[in-house]
Amino acid sequence: MAHPMIRVRGLTKRYQRGGETLTVLDQLNLEMEEGRFYALMGPSGSGKTTLLNLIGGLDSPDEGELIVAGEDLADLSGADLAHWRSTNVGFVFQGFNLIPVLTARENVELPLKLTPLSRAQRRAQAETALKLVGLGDRMDHRPRQLSGGQEQRVAIARAIATDPKVILADEPTGDLDRKSAEQVLELLQRLNREFKKTILMVTHDPHAAERAQSIVHLDKGQLGRIEHNQAPVAAK
Amino acid sequence: MAPFVLVWRNLLRHPLRSVLTVLCVAIAVFLICFLRTMVTTLNAGVDAADNRRLAVMSRNGLFAALPLKYQAAIESIDGVELTTKFQWFGGYYRSQKNFFAQFAVDPETMFAMYPECKAPAEQIEAFRRNRTSCVIGSELVKEFGWKIGDTVPIIGSLNPHPEDKAWEFQVAGIYHSDVPNFDNRTLFLHWEYFEETLKAGGNPPGVGVFSIKIERDADAARVIADVEAAFEDSEQRVDCSTEAEFQRQFVTMFGNVPKFLGWIGSGVVVVILLACINTMLMALRDQAAEIGVLKSLGFTDMSMFMLLVAQSVLLCLLGGALGLGIAAGAEAPISEFMVKMFPGFAIHNDTFLLAGAAALAIGLIAGAAPAWRARNMPCVEAFRGTD
Amino acid sequence: MLVPLSYNLRSLFVRKTATLLTVLGIGATVAIVSGVIALQQGFQSMYTGGGRSDVAVFLRPGANNEGDSQFSRDRGLKLIKSVPEIEVGPAGPIASMEAYLALLLPPARGGVTNVPLRGVQPMTFEIRRGEVEILEGRNFTPGSDELIVGRRLVGEIPSCVIDGVLELNRTPFRIVGVFDHSGQFAGEIWGDMDRVTTAMGRFGPNRVVAKLREGVEVGAPDPREVMFADEPPEPVPGSLAERLKNHPEVPARVYTEAQFLASQTVMLTGILGGLSAILGVIMGLAAVFTATNTMLSAIAARTNEIGILLSLGYRPVPIFLSFMFESLVLGLLGGFAGCLMALPFNGIKAGTMNFQTFTEMAFAFRVTPAVLVIAVTFSMLLGLIGGAWPAFRACRMKPTDALRRV
Repeated sequence: MAHPMIRVRGLTKRYQRGGETLTVLDQLNLEMEEGRFYALMGPSGSGKTTLLNLIGGLDSPDEGELIVAGEDLADLSGADLAHWRSTNVGFVFQGFNLIPVLTARENVELPLKLTPLSRAQRRAQAETALKLVGLGDRMDHRPRQLSGGQEQRVAIARAIATDPKVILADEPTGDLDRKSAEQVLELLQRLNREFKKTILMVTHDPHAAERAQSIVHLDKGQLGRIEHNQAPVAAK
Repeated sequence: MAPFVLVWRNLLRHPLRSVLTVLCVAIAVFLICFLRTMVTTLNAGVDAADNRRLAVMSRNGLFAALPLKYQAAIESIDGVELTTKFQWFGGYYRSQKNFFAQFAVDPETMFAMYPECKAPAEQIEAFRRNRTSCVIGSELVKEFGWKIGDTVPIIGSLNPHPEDKAWEFQVAGIYHSDVPNFDNRTLFLHWEYFEETLKAGGNPPGVGVFSIKIERDADAARVIADVEAAFEDSEQRVDCSTEAEFQRQFVTMFGNVPKFLGWIGSGVVVVILLACINTMLMALRDQAAEIGVLKSLGFTDMSMFMLLVAQSVLLCLLGGALGLGIAAGAEAPISEFMVKMFPGFAIHNDTFLLAGAAALAIGLIAGAAPAWRARNMPCVEAFRGTD
Repeated sequence: MLVPLSYNLRSLFVRKTATLLTVLGIGATVAIVSGVIALQQGFQSMYTGGGRSDVAVFLRPGANNEGDSQFSRDRGLKLIKSVPEIEVGPAGPIASMEAYLALLLPPARGGVTNVPLRGVQPMTFEIRRGEVEILEGRNFTPGSDELIVGRRLVGEIPSCVIDGVLELNRTPFRIVGVFDHSGQFAGEIWGDMDRVTTAMGRFGPNRVVAKLREGVEVGAPDPREVMFADEPPEPVPGSLAERLKNHPEVPARVYTEAQFLASQTVMLTGILGGLSAILGVIMGLAAVFTATNTMLSAIAARTNEIGILLSLGYRPVPIFLSFMFESLVLGLLGGFAGCLMALPFNGIKAGTMNFQTFTEMAFAFRVTPAVLVIAVTFSMLLGLIGGAWPAFRACRMKPTDALRRV
């Protein structure tokens, strides 16, 4: 087995809701290999997004060990964790979450502002990322002027701008029509294949999940079966 | 580090809201300048006072007149270099709405005592020689169009002319002063003519205020004590004070007015602060989701705090600059408009500084509460709605 | 079909913070303006409140205030004798000569001030029967070196206490009582006219006051016009005022006391009126801007709801009215908040120099019902102006756009 990019040991997360304690993740153990494309599936409330948040360092677990990209997240907090995120993880959200007042290029440049790159380097890198997602001709458009699929592709460009090892995607095709969804999934596959990105994508769409190499099932905060997809559906 | 491109872009997101907020701050800054200048104008005489000059008046106040013969007694006191006398004339030109001060003065000494009251030497000389003449301030020339050689009729309401007519004075000179303790709306008439005319009516005048100039090395406190002691057993006891103290006493007669102006100013700041907090809370509401996103991209909590504070401060500094600009531009017209009641309206540099600092403070405080909330906002809120 | 008003009221409640901040902002604006008006009301009521039209004030011709006016004692007596319109009591004509001077005293707030000192004759108390009453101690004895002080001076001028001694030039006068009056006299020091003028080195009184027989018309023009008009108006032909103006022996200016008092504060009234107008306009603008911002944000947050209303068939005008109503309520709440903030001003003592007499005026803020009415009206106006543009924008939305923009 290759070197694990993500290692989860005894991960537990509880929330207080309306006076009662809800265990969203319960003693979860999981390992994910570097350079693999994972789909994370499960019914509503199974803890998919919580797991994604924890792996992305957006939230901290109540118990357990969590090592992502070689870093034990328990050792990081506050500004260090924020800095770790900016270089190691890229996020893609269901609602795109672009900043409406910035152009596509400026949105992609945002995470680069946290790196020591010069202005010109930032600009060049943002343009490269946008060209990669096929939006070289939309760089100065505002999010409002783009279609949903285009917005999500800008979001993906933003996620890869700092060249992170891991991309975390939360229902990236949830708000998209069929055709745009296909484009986004192909893009993720390409990032995995050509740039060796480790991708973890939450989805409840079986068609989307077929694009991944492995499908991890979560149920009530516990690990279900893991399917290995020997021949994922390729780009058409 | 906050992404500063977002500061500006976010302000442009609701241009009308930003413009209205900037205008609110501009209003506050303008009013602070305006209200504080009213107070500093009252105090201007204190600041401009000459520490070699003393004023002597009756211990019963300005209403009581001192006997003329006191002048010789004062002059005999050691350390006194020069004295001159003033008496309030209390008249008006045509109607009381044309209100300005008139004083009977001694032309021989008045201009020597007050070099800040500038008039050409030949005009002072003409005033000295012509007992029915007067010297007028440059503002009166502007207001009534008087010129040298004109005869100005003044109705004496406190000192009516014994022949029951208006007093008439020929304009011998025009003075101008750049110092705030001397306004440019005063008419100085000749003491001898004033005294003789009233004497003829059986009502000889007294002196309202004697001014003293002390010798360069004289001790003011000692001269003050000597002057007061000299009249301790005379018909009118006197109060002698430095020019600054005399002016300060006059300002205290305005009572609580300066304090109330201060209250109003503070009230204005509170109102505008509330308006800015309102604006910044709206901004926070608009940007809440984005702040979660920015945090997930790796921006720190502190940088999000700065993002909000920077917006607030930028708005307030723009408003402050606009307000200071308006105040500076309106200074001359306001001064013109208020010259009758409030001569010498001029905004001090420290008033500008204070108003600018107030704008900055409003910006910081209005930004702080929303910024603190932005700082504490968890980034997971970005994922709200799924799972 | 009108939009239900409860819809707007509820939305004000839902957006609590913005509503509260706006209400407080409008409230503070209204309170500031009301405060200045309350100040003006305070001294105006003090001056005009005591003004009677059956009391005549006689001044020297040409004089517009007591300080400017001067009579000799003989001339005062002659004047009283030559005016048959003065009511005659058992002790002779009900008329009194009064001297108006000032004492330079230190007020509690620091510095110095000219406190009015009035020398009066026994007949003054006959004229002022029912108006002036001794609160503490006793009245001064005529012909003695005693003084009584007005109620408003107590506390404001520390030396004005019973058994205190004030030096009038070189003569010590003892304070034997505190008196009250609803008008200006409560801010004055009173003593015997002859004793006071002698001590202060004055040769006579400043004015004559007299109670007129019933039905006598003075016929004097408004003293404010006499002072400020380019062409001073003349007294009514054949009236007392005209006769005295042209009297060969004792010419005098005569006004009713009500007329005279109203003219003594025109300058300060004008200044405070101007100040409240300037503040009202400038601060009002700021309050309007705040209200506009709040309403714009309220409408932006409810774009979707407006789309629903429009698609349900509500017409633009009712939607406009509905948001105007919401803004009006915002203003009204601000007005009430402003009244609450302004009420504590009521009764705060204040003192300043009256530029017309150069003497101290001791008075108090008066938040009268009129002030409150002005405050609430002003606040509603602010709400309406502030709401106009946002409401217009709301009613001009197209239902399709409004629904699309989430």
